[in-house]
Amino acid sequence: MSKMLGVAASSPGGSTRRPDSGGNSRKLLLGAYFDFIRIRFLTMLAYRVNYYSGILIYTLNIGVNYFTWKAIYGDGQALGGFTAAQMTTYVAVSWMARAFYFNNLDREISTDIRDGSIAIQFIRPYNYVLVKMMQGLGEGLFRFMLFMIPGMAIAMLLFPVNLPTEPSAWIGFLVMLFFSFLINSQINVITGLLAFFVENNEGMMRMKRVVVDLFSGLIVPISLFPGWMSSVLEVLPFQAITYLPGSVFTGRVQGVGIWNVLGIQVLWFLLLLIPIVWLYHAARKRLFVQGG
Amino acid sequence: MYYFGLVIEYLKNYMKTRLTYRADFWVEVISDLLFQATNFIFILVIFMHTNSLGGWNQNEVVFVYGFFMVPFGVFSCFVNMWGFSERYIVKGEMDRILTRPAHNLFQIFLENIDPPALVGSFIGLIIMAISGSNLGLPFEWWTIPVLILFTLSAVAIYTGIYTALTSLSFYSDAPTGILPLMYNIQSYGRYPVTIYNRAIQVLLTWIIPFAFVGIYPAALFLQRDEMKSMALLTPVVGLVFLGIGLMAWNYGVRRYKGAGS
Amino acid sequence: MAAIQVQDLRKTFKVQKNREGLKGAFADLFKREYTEVTAVKDISFTIPEGEICGYIGENGAGKSTTIKMLTGILVPTSGVLSVGGYVPYEEREKFVRNIGVVFGQRSQLWWDIGVIESFQLLRKVYRVSEADYKKRLDELVERLALQELLNRPVRKLSLGQRMRCELVAALLHNPSILFLDEPTIGLDIVVKSEIRDFLKDMNREHGTTILLTTHDLQDIEALCSRVIMLDDGRIIYDGGLEELKQRWGTGREVLFQFGSATKLGQLNHWTDGMPVTWSAENDLNAKAWIPLDLNVSDVLGRVVGQADITDIKIIETNTDDIVRSIYQSGSAEKPEEARAEQDGKEVVHV
Repeated sequence: MSKMLGVAASSPGGSTRRPDSGGNSRKLLLGAYFDFIRIRFLTMLAYRVNYYSGILIYTLNIGVNYFTWKAIYGDGQALGGFTAAQMTTYVAVSWMARAFYFNNLDREISTDIRDGSIAIQFIRPYNYVLVKMMQGLGEGLFRFMLFMIPGMAIAMLLFPVNLPTEPSAWIGFLVMLFFSFLINSQINVITGLLAFFVENNEGMMRMKRVVVDLFSGLIVPISLFPGWMSSVLEVLPFQAITYLPGSVFTGRVQGVGIWNVLGIQVLWFLLLLIPIVWLYHAARKRLFVQGG
Repeated sequence: MYYFGLVIEYLKNYMKTRLTYRADFWVEVISDLLFQATNFIFILVIFMHTNSLGGWNQNEVVFVYGFFMVPFGVFSCFVNMWGFSERYIVKGEMDRILTRPAHNLFQIFLENIDPPALVGSFIGLIIMAISGSNLGLPFEWWTIPVLILFTLSAVAIYTGIYTALTSLSFYSDAPTGILPLMYNIQSYGRYPVTIYNRAIQVLLTWIIPFAFVGIYPAALFLQRDEMKSMALLTPVVGLVFLGIGLMAWNYGVRRYKGAGS
Repeated sequence: MAAIQVQDLRKTFKVQKNREGLKGAFADLFKREYTEVTAVKDISFTIPEGEICGYIGENGAGKSTTIKMLTGILVPTSGVLSVGGYVPYEEREKFVRNIGVVFGQRSQLWWDIGVIESFQLLRKVYRVSEADYKKRLDELVERLALQELLNRPVRKLSLGQRMRCELVAALLHNPSILFLDEPTIGLDIVVKSEIRDFLKDMNREHGTTILLTTHDLQDIEALCSRVIMLDDGRIIYDGGLEELKQRWGTGREVLFQFGSATKLGQLNHWTDGMPVTWSAENDLNAKAWIPLDLNVSDVLGRVVGQADITDIKIIETNTDDIVRSIYQSGSAEKPEEARAEQDGKEVVHV
């Protein structure tokens, strides 16, 4: 299980490499996983209403947040260590990053559990959680290429967004963005798998959604929260999704600090594997021993 | 009368269903409140760093927020279109709806009725009362009737917008992704729209008029005269958008009946 | 008076084409291509009041599309349609008060609450008076033996129990026309025959007109005085069941298993003079093919007394087999005959 996830982690960008024709079975399996990325990507392409409205709404979200913060800044001194210019960039980058890491894996998993189709998924010769992660990645790549890039271009035209110019910041950001995806998806998988143990996890999924948006720093950067609250949030995984990568990209965190941020992300990625493995095994046991 | 009787009947069935899953009821109430609370936290955090948002102080912004919750709760209770596309189009339940002798949209509203959402409306009223008394707002003879009128108008606006958006499912691939994104946008109607640029103001006032479910009507109670005329327009906007929503819906149903699933 | 009247009914769908591969998907994002599919091709038929009519055909033949047009769910592309005196797609809400619909695959009952609550709600939806409702419910509940089930939530019912409740739900408002889409699908034989008996009684006592689609020939045999068969959107047969079977039926097969060796010659000898064809895999297993105009029991009568039989299995033809044999028999002439038949029928019915 963890070995499998290791495979996922070591393929940033998730190229749609097809299996070699003469490859062994392990390679074939790997190819199958890449196919899940590809298929989800194609599926997303099929929904064009979602696509067009998505770009508009994401741009609008950035705009509204930009003007809200502009009004808050008013006369222009720094808030919580953010200058007004940094805040603009932070808002734009966080919303666009959300386009990549956001997915509905929790909802998909809990639907599979409730309508019983998870039993079929569990007897197929692949790892269900990993397949879900791959599908999430396909979705993320779709939004990255078709939402995030054009959306970012629009945002840069409309608002004074300052993006860094050195390539190292970009590479760092992309790596961190990938970890944002992993951590957010892991939280989704955990929430989804809980449907095995809770009668109705609808409320929990809604709560999770709200909590992630707020506590990840998407709505308010964590340094703006009152002291006691930001110190609580600093020990939760959510900040690793938006706040930390956003801080790096806006140039607030530099040098060695970047490695610290990456370290925190990797740490959370590893820590979150534990409940997933545990839940996955408990779920299998529940499914096969108690019949669901 | 017939439709009112149906509302009662569906509510009864809702309660019976819910009594079998009592824990869910409270989980739902709590998650609804938490959803609202995040926005509340946003306001609190903002005002820790500034005294005014576009010329509005904390109590005023909180009051607008309280008002916003009232129609939103009523709307969420009676109009719940989440998952329409999956449940009614993909799984084909629309066919069943169409073989029943009541207006199809009304049946769908009733089948998805969600009373826990009303808790949010009560909390909104409490927030209005507290921030209103902090501000020393006068309680006039017209306060309650106008509050009711504005609430109904705002519900009509929500219903119009979401019905129109949901009716897209009749035309195209599942537009399920739009509704959650809309949820983000509607909350922007709670802040003084004057802080936004012209384009966003026009958008929130005339195109997707979420300013009319928050800041404009609330401004009347706050005695903000610069928005008074907008506040008085709320019922008109409500009627217009409800009309647009229903037209889009009926048109969509006609198309569904032409094309099938 | 005719309960259902259909004249040159046609339904064309626009189906979105998905182009292949990544490039195709990108192209689809900006410009869609559609193809037109005609599901129902200018069909005409009339069903008089009080008739039970079977509507059969393979999957995709256009059965469901027709039913959806007849129940007001879909608007026809062209043609004239009248059901119970209404044009279904106009005045939908008035029209549906007069019909009952059961989709075998979908439930119209609330999943989590007692069945009786669903009935109560449907009473309100269909504006049935309390007195009529009581009378009707008592009658239906007694007839279908549902007393025990009324307070159980639907999710705790078996498929057979649920289907009986679905029928009650569709009949509470005493519709004059009942549409059933695969009403017996997935049910066991006991429940199937219960439902068939019930439908026959409903038809006899209340004069309910019933149109049902099914893949089960026994449904048709038990219920229908008339069969309309559809293939690729066209009616290829409209008439009595017996004629259908005689015209196209392939006959029946009876499988015998013998306790001691029985030679083929011996079998042929027993059924001498009957148009029965025997074939045998070995001495212990034989197959008899019996044409439709011959009673199976006559054949069995000849064999049973004489041979040492351990098992007999009768293989029924189902509608799909008949349809298939119609294709194979070279459709050019026979559908022509069927059409002539259909015209003759109409004269009788109108």
